Amino acid sequence: MIRSALASFVITAVLLVVVVGIVLVPIAMHMPDPLAVLDMFVFGPFRNPRHTGNIIEMATPGMMCGLAVAIMLRAGMFNLGVEGAFFLGGLATVATVLLVPLPGWAMAPVGLAVGAVVGSSVCAVPGLLRARYDASELVSSLMLNFAALFIGLFIVNYFLRDPTAGAMVSYKIPNDARLPRLVAGTRIHLGTIIAVAGCLLGAVYLFMTRAGFESRIVGLNPAFAAHLGLPIRWILLRSQLIGGLIAAGAGGIEMLGLYQRFSWQGLPGNGWTGVVVAILARDNPILLIPAALFLSYLQVGGDLISRNFDVPNEAVGLIQALVLLVVTSSAIMRNPRLLRLVSGRKAAANKTPGPKVAEGSAA
Amino acid sequence: MSDIDFVGLLSFVPAILRVTTPILLAALGVLISDRAGVLNIGVEGMMLSGAFAGVVASAATGSAAAGLVAAIIVGGMLGAVLAGAVHILKADLILSGIALNIAAAAGTTLLLFLMTGDKGMSGSLASQVLPKITIPVIADVPVLGTLLSGHHILTYVAFLAVPGVGIFLTRTPLGLRLRAVGESPESAAIAGINVVRVQVMALIVSGAFAGTGGAFLSMGYVSWFSQDMSAGRGFIALAAEVMGHGSASGTMFASLLLGAAEAIAVALQGRGLPSELMQTVPYIVPVIALVVYARRRQRLLARA
Repeated sequence: MIRSALASFVITAVLLVVVVGIVLVPIAMHMPDPLAVLDMFVFGPFRNPRHTGNIIEMATPGMMCGLAVAIMLRAGMFNLGVEGAFFLGGLATVATVLLVPLPGWAMAPVGLAVGAVVGSSVCAVPGLLRARYDASELVSSLMLNFAALFIGLFIVNYFLRDPTAGAMVSYKIPNDARLPRLVAGTRIHLGTIIAVAGCLLGAVYLFMTRAGFESRIVGLNPAFAAHLGLPIRWILLRSQLIGGLIAAGAGGIEMLGLYQRFSWQGLPGNGWTGVVVAILARDNPILLIPAALFLSYLQVGGDLISRNFDVPNEAVGLIQALVLLVVTSSAIMRNPRLLRLVSGRKAAANKTPGPKVAEGSAA
Repeated sequence: MSDIDFVGLLSFVPAILRVTTPILLAALGVLISDRAGVLNIGVEGMMLSGAFAGVVASAATGSAAAGLVAAIIVGGMLGAVLAGAVHILKADLILSGIALNIAAAAGTTLLLFLMTGDKGMSGSLASQVLPKITIPVIADVPVLGTLLSGHHILTYVAFLAVPGVGIFLTRTPLGLRLRAVGESPESAAIAGINVVRVQVMALIVSGAFAGTGGAFLSMGYVSWFSQDMSAGRGFIALAAEVMGHGSASGTMFASLLLGAAEAIAVALQGRGLPSELMQTVPYIVPVIALVVYARRRQRLLARA
């Protein structure tokens, strides 16, 4: 079993290298000095502590959004409200910090708590509609992402906007509310520790608590869960509430950790990254940490080559899309020949851990 | 109702049809994929790619028709890619669709930059616009003229495609097979239907519809492509199809409802209401509609 699990890791790792190569090499070939581009992408993030710090900063929302997605996917819910929850959570946190008179020490905790609760609505409402009326959470969460975006922009424009700033941004977030920076010379902040702790707690929740166990049963086999007499509707709703709170909290942490003002003009895309992180980590909370670090390493590499050469960092989006596709491809991941080749013996293909995504749950 | 109200409402019709057209085209694509059991989540990315392909091809050839054809082909090809992901790579349908959307957003921006040196807009490409059609005699009839004549060519295509798709799905052998595959792939396979082929075909056609909808965005009333110009319309189309209960006419009415919501929102923006709040309307209406439909379905089930 261990060897076959290892085989899945090896295949994933090789695939990731191939995917990065497929996207990057042709783009690099367009440049006058292809090797310099590749070198900058692969090794650049480690040459400078500030850039290495960037990897960790960017992985922070990735881990938390990934955790939110993983907890909902484990319960079989395709709730894509993570994107909107992250946005609205960040906004509600900033709004609380700016508008509510609070003592300095209470700003961050109260702001984050309010942000998490308000932002989680983007995941919770589709969850509620699913539990109460059996309406597809996939479609309603996609819609509410955009509703959250425009409601958020309305709040920024009418209540938080700093007229002295040129663009449509909020007033400055007070210094007392900012999360403390941890490592000098980088922007790594307290949120990273919260995110790592969150992933560990997520593992405890999913694998060591009754609630997590119930949600996994519902996700793996709803008919069996119904047969057991589990309160399925409540379990589904609970998973989406937890997922929403985590995603929205991540938005607040991102704001208080890295931003001077609320400046998002559109959905920031962290929720979609969270989907890729969760899938890459096979919905395993512990693996979310390396998965998020890897994806943000790619992002930092992409930003570096876009800054130093004339390559738009959208290349990273292509890589993310391919990663999502290839990692969920059971034809590759569960190919018996490939598994045998990697593990060096006859591995039973159907025993290797594969993507446990509830197929057809949106139908 | 007074005459003025009626005239006011009538003047809304072209606006509603204009907003509805891309939603309806994409929603018909979603409908075909959904009835074949392969719900096309990638419709958003296919629209965006179609919009981009239309601008590039029409700028290159100087012909709007070539742009439209390119948009349809690119949409269809992406449908084939999604089908390949599901059937050859055996990847998850929904996640492949999400991957396609991410790839389309990144890919169009990347290509736009490589072609024009600009990441945001295709202003430097001299792309073409598809024409409006004035129907000779009807255009002069007072009310009927506003309702029926002077719309965009793709608006006619979209609304004529509604009975086309409806008849195809319910009255042709291929449509019957397609629905059988969507209903129960196992039974369809036992009955001798090539499930993979039907689903591949459905996704290609679905992509072609989405690409046409995309062409309307970049070549309908404007002659440029901008980053993320589909702006969630594919997702609205998805909602319209779900609201339409799997029928072509239902999908059309749902698209019209959502189009009307958006058109009214745009009109109200001009009257000093916060534009941001108005922009939420097309996204909140589908959620409410979904709940209403779901409740009705539940009540019907309870009664049965």
